[in-house]
Amino acid sequence: MASAPIAPYNSSPLGNSSSPNASRESLKMEPLADFAMLPGEERVTDKEIIYICPFNAAVKGKVFITNYRLYFKNTDSETPVTLDVPLGVISRVEKMGGASSRGENSYGLEITCKDMRNLRFALKQEGHSRRDIFEILFKYAFPLSHGMQLFAFLSQEKYEENGWNVYEPMDEYRRQGLPNSEWRITFINKTYELCDTYPTVLAVPYKATEEDLKRVATFRSRCRIPVLSWFHKENHAVITRCSQPLVGMSGKRNKDDERYLDLIREANGTTKLTIYDARPNVNAVANKATGGGYEGDDAYQNAELVFLDIHNIHVMRESLKKLKDIVYPNVEESHWLSSLESTHWLEHIKLVLSGAIQVADKVSSGSSVVVHCSDGWDRTAQLTSLAMLMLDSYYRTLRGFQVLLEKEWIGFGHKFASRIGHGDKNHADQDRSPIFLQFIDCVWQMTKQFPTAFEFNERLLVVILDHLYSCRFGTFLYNCESVRDSNSVRGKTVSLWSFVNSDTSLYINPFYTPESSRVLYPVASMRHLELWVTYYIRWNPRIQHQQQSPVEQRYKELLALRDQYLKKLEELKLSDSAPSSTHLTNSSTPNAATPNQHITHLQTPF
Amino acid sequence: MMFSGKQTKPTFKSYLPPLQTESKKSPQLPIKKLEAKLLPGEIVVNEANFVRKCIGAESCQDDLWGKLVCTNFKVSFITHKSLPQQRFQCTHRLLGEHDIPLACVEQVVTVNDVKGKQKILGSNQKLKFNPTELILYCKDFRIIRFRFDEAGPESAKKVCLAIAHYSHPADPQLLFGFEYVGKRYHGSTGERVNGVDPGGGLQTPLFDCSSDWDREIKRTGASEWRVCTVNQGYFISPSLPEFFVVPVSLADQDLKQYACFFYSQRIPLWCWNHSSGSALVRMSNISDPQQQRKVEQRISSTITKSHPLRSDVFKSDLDKNLPNIQDIQAALLKLRQTCVIDPFEESEEKWLSSLESSRWMEYVRTFLRHAVEIVYMLESRRVSVILLEKEDRDLSCVISSLVQLMCDPHCRSLHGFQGLIQKEWVMAGHRFLDRCNHLKKNDKEESPVFLLFLDCVWQLWNQYPAAFEFTEVYLTVLGDSMWVPVFSTFLFNCPRQRAEHSRDFASSKSIHLGQDQALRFPPVWDWSQQFSLKDQTLFNNPLYVGKIATCVQNGTVKTFTHRRSKKNYSSTMRGLPSVLRNGSLGPNDTLARRNSLVLRLRSDLTQVREQQETPSERFVREFFSRPVDLQGLLLPQLLPSHISVWKLYFLRWVPEAQIPQGGPITTFHKLSVLTDEIEMLQNQLRQYKGAGSTPNNLHTEHSKMYFKATSTPQQSPAPPEYLSSSFPFSPVGNLCRPGILGTPLSKFLNGAKIWLSTETLANETV
Repeated sequence: MASAPIAPYNSSPLGNSSSPNASRESLKMEPLADFAMLPGEERVTDKEIIYICPFNAAVKGKVFITNYRLYFKNTDSETPVTLDVPLGVISRVEKMGGASSRGENSYGLEITCKDMRNLRFALKQEGHSRRDIFEILFKYAFPLSHGMQLFAFLSQEKYEENGWNVYEPMDEYRRQGLPNSEWRITFINKTYELCDTYPTVLAVPYKATEEDLKRVATFRSRCRIPVLSWFHKENHAVITRCSQPLVGMSGKRNKDDERYLDLIREANGTTKLTIYDARPNVNAVANKATGGGYEGDDAYQNAELVFLDIHNIHVMRESLKKLKDIVYPNVEESHWLSSLESTHWLEHIKLVLSGAIQVADKVSSGSSVVVHCSDGWDRTAQLTSLAMLMLDSYYRTLRGFQVLLEKEWIGFGHKFASRIGHGDKNHADQDRSPIFLQFIDCVWQMTKQFPTAFEFNERLLVVILDHLYSCRFGTFLYNCESVRDSNSVRGKTVSLWSFVNSDTSLYINPFYTPESSRVLYPVASMRHLELWVTYYIRWNPRIQHQQQSPVEQRYKELLALRDQYLKKLEELKLSDSAPSSTHLTNSSTPNAATPNQHITHLQTPF
Repeated sequence: MMFSGKQTKPTFKSYLPPLQTESKKSPQLPIKKLEAKLLPGEIVVNEANFVRKCIGAESCQDDLWGKLVCTNFKVSFITHKSLPQQRFQCTHRLLGEHDIPLACVEQVVTVNDVKGKQKILGSNQKLKFNPTELILYCKDFRIIRFRFDEAGPESAKKVCLAIAHYSHPADPQLLFGFEYVGKRYHGSTGERVNGVDPGGGLQTPLFDCSSDWDREIKRTGASEWRVCTVNQGYFISPSLPEFFVVPVSLADQDLKQYACFFYSQRIPLWCWNHSSGSALVRMSNISDPQQQRKVEQRISSTITKSHPLRSDVFKSDLDKNLPNIQDIQAALLKLRQTCVIDPFEESEEKWLSSLESSRWMEYVRTFLRHAVEIVYMLESRRVSVILLEKEDRDLSCVISSLVQLMCDPHCRSLHGFQGLIQKEWVMAGHRFLDRCNHLKKNDKEESPVFLLFLDCVWQLWNQYPAAFEFTEVYLTVLGDSMWVPVFSTFLFNCPRQRAEHSRDFASSKSIHLGQDQALRFPPVWDWSQQFSLKDQTLFNNPLYVGKIATCVQNGTVKTFTHRRSKKNYSSTMRGLPSVLRNGSLGPNDTLARRNSLVLRLRSDLTQVREQQETPSERFVREFFSRPVDLQGLLLPQLLPSHISVWKLYFLRWVPEAQIPQGGPITTFHKLSVLTDEIEMLQNQLRQYKGAGSTPNNLHTEHSKMYFKATSTPQQSPAPPEYLSSSFPFSPVGNLCRPGILGTPLSKFLNGAKIWLSTETLANETV
């Protein structure tokens, strides 16, 4: 009963974007704009403009551009039409129409966004109005291409909690039960000398020496050696991750690498180490031509190699592009299902999920695994983090999920900057790819199949994706820790988790039921995989916009009702002074979400 | 031998007392107790021992041994061992765990895998080989497989032939319901022995008497409409009920006069009145083209007269706009192929396009969309609508019920919904007997129109889960009940047929009906025929926002009782402007009053799709721009991306698609527990307010929730382990598809229209 239409958070993707104190301040600065500016946000320009809404027709209004966002408000009708788009979302700005164009609205700007929508504006041909606004947009949407700073470095937002403290690698290793007699923590990479795209703190087999690590690094693409991602407390099996071995055309071998993998196997007495190569077999073979490859049978005798058939970043990018074509601006009506099938988006989701299921299943049966793809920062991150989500209920909590992202994605160098292209004008960059979005989609699929197993709700996932692009927070900026360090991201920007954790009630799934030892195996079947319509089709005004899923909302109402009754009952009992023997007297805080002032009105008007 | 083999004789004498549990069970193991549980009127036709029911997909280690029995009601498999991994199932009062009603058997396939032969059995057929295997394809999508490796070849053959024969009854009166209900009258003189008195204590109006119609007229404020009794004794129309509602201005004499012009003498039937006064009417085609204009005009003018605004009548020709019954049947067959017959893994890649090519979802959308169009006419244009269908017995049932579900919150309550089905399906003469093809006589007449309707309801339910008093389990079970042939609801083509057959049956069996006019079949709404009260609580939706809604404001809960003033239960809240002036629709009342500036701005932009929004599209868009009132109008989201597969119904038997301890049921569980706790607290509060007697757990008896709050309600309980996305159904042993794959039979099955037609007898050596 949960799959009701859960619609998004209005045309502003970020919902309650600014902190209250921030808005007061900025409103003084800009009385004209009716949006609350963030501390550090500055007005750049505003202009009369026509927004060509793909759903309704043209809307006359005014656009405001700040160093953070594009804001549009209509002036021509009492029904408000607003757009609130962080500039970071913009992937491309184009001029449409020329001096010779006929027709009123054929002269203007076309903006392609990273979050499944496009925006079109029409301008008057007179003056240089278009040139001005184009140049401003181009400059502020792509600050890095213009020698300017990303907004995250200009923001003055303050939050009570410092989100940068959410993830402390040592604490997380300790939580997993490390170090122990099988695995040790090494600081060999503390100055990023071993591997510049890895974090500073790594967990490696106890028996592997620092010298071993250095030698293994020579045989792994970009020195990304196999290191521990997750440790199974009961059976001591581990998930390790790395990049492909540098086998090359000649089929090179490396004794140190072979011995190192055997150390991983030995650590808990796994008879055969399973190596999951995320790629399709042919891709792995093709990689030999560029010096890469995969672990051959004869070289790694105590290991079995499994290919998981997940395609590369280019395939995923094209797939999402096709998906956008059938959902924006209009949902393909006549052949929806076959069109959806031909995007292959859900099929890719299925392959990623089923790969992760195999990893999780292997580990929970007691065998250690190694996961890699080519470089070990895209598909590998998807697989390890999803498998960890299945195996370890901690990662299904609001905090734990943040730790998981910090650790497996941000820490281990998923190239966010390259994949998203923050502040970069080169929209056609072949490095861009929606790998992280695909991962979040997989998580969403899991939450759909297990609606009580996650402490966070869909809204958190949408907020994460919105700020993946927005450049308001430092969390997803840059490709790896070393670059983040050299840019002092932690010191100069705010973490997304500061924002999220300042009001967690918005992101709590009221149905959450903690079950510590349960391994979640979603059914990776097309029968159950659904298109995440509340994300991909959220800009369509024909879809109801709701803050919350109606089921979630109703449950919160019922929780509030329950508490109300408990309170009343307690009062009655007190006034009765004749205490009866009910267990209901201790009406402390209930589970998960105590609904409070957030529920102001309910679905039923009277 | 199979069973005695399990009892190992002790080889040494043990001086330890045996474990108590074991000592109690072991003496009961022998075969002697394997007997079918029979209902009154049910007789055993044939049986075979040492039959194996296939459970596991690949291996047979989970298979069950037992006795296969064919009665005049069901195929029963009796075994001692209960299913592995199946600790929960809704217990059915008429059917055992492994039983299949004969009416649910779609096709009987016998196989001899040694000789490589198979044959589909019809009634009165011969079988020239000894079957090693029997596969029953069921109408509810199950595929059940029995093996006869250890059974006597002759008895195996006989039981297969019996099942085939008895699942093809030659006459409606051979449907089990007759014997079953007939037995009621056999006790003492005219006293009912079986079950509950139908109608008695039942809150669902059956619309078989004029008072039910009167009440409906009052409820909807249809003051200009009256109950007419011209069809008493079915003198005017054979397929209309004895009582129905017509415009006040249409006299009985006129009705009698007009009847002959209509197909099957079906004069227009009133369905429902919108709060604006617009009426929803259904009627069959006028068979005489020369009279058509005149009669139509006359009918329309009486309907207009019954409208408070004297507004026009809009006619909607359903045959032109909707798929016909054969289309619907073809779609279901394809859907079934995709869901349960095609091998799971191989069909994954093409799942979505297979779904699409079945067209089932497309039809669901089409019906919903058409209903929305009608709602627009009633709600926004405020005109009365006539649903026109050749026979007025299939498509109009779907559309009229959907329209009422969308507009009238009463229809979303349990009894309101059941009354709706009585009114628009049972009494209006939907040919359940033919559409279910209970007699398996005429495949062309078979069509899952009702299931399609249930799917449409499910889509609405899925989009507005808090607006319905019932659950999807209820909808599923209701669909399954079509195949339990004892209910008045699904056994007949129309009320008259029911009356005639039951009179005939009574006289042929010399049953004294007492003061009854006909045999009193229980309606399906008498749910205690099938389920215990506890199991029936699975029908109650904990999310339901009923008449009492609670409002949480700043942490305080206020309870409001919905007291909607008459005549405004759906529209006035939205304040839609009246577009009618003196009964005529103005040409510029299209609601689209666009800003002239905007109109000017819409120019030759190539990429912007020209949105020539129709008024009804605008109506829908405006609906979605406002917060939803669950007690008001509900329109479904019709984008194809928002129409889902009804997984509980279509995929519940598919083992690969089962999510253990997952699926929507896990939220249902939590909601149920919380709602139960609230009920309990309410009771306690009530007791405080009352005489101050000691609060006690009175609630457990009448709790409406399936899952109960625990004694420590503050701790949220983990979902029980037996929950799965298929709950309360189980795929275990109910879909033995993999077994037939790879055999020649599977290829054979992949041919024609899925279910083999009886003519194609592959490999049969005659």
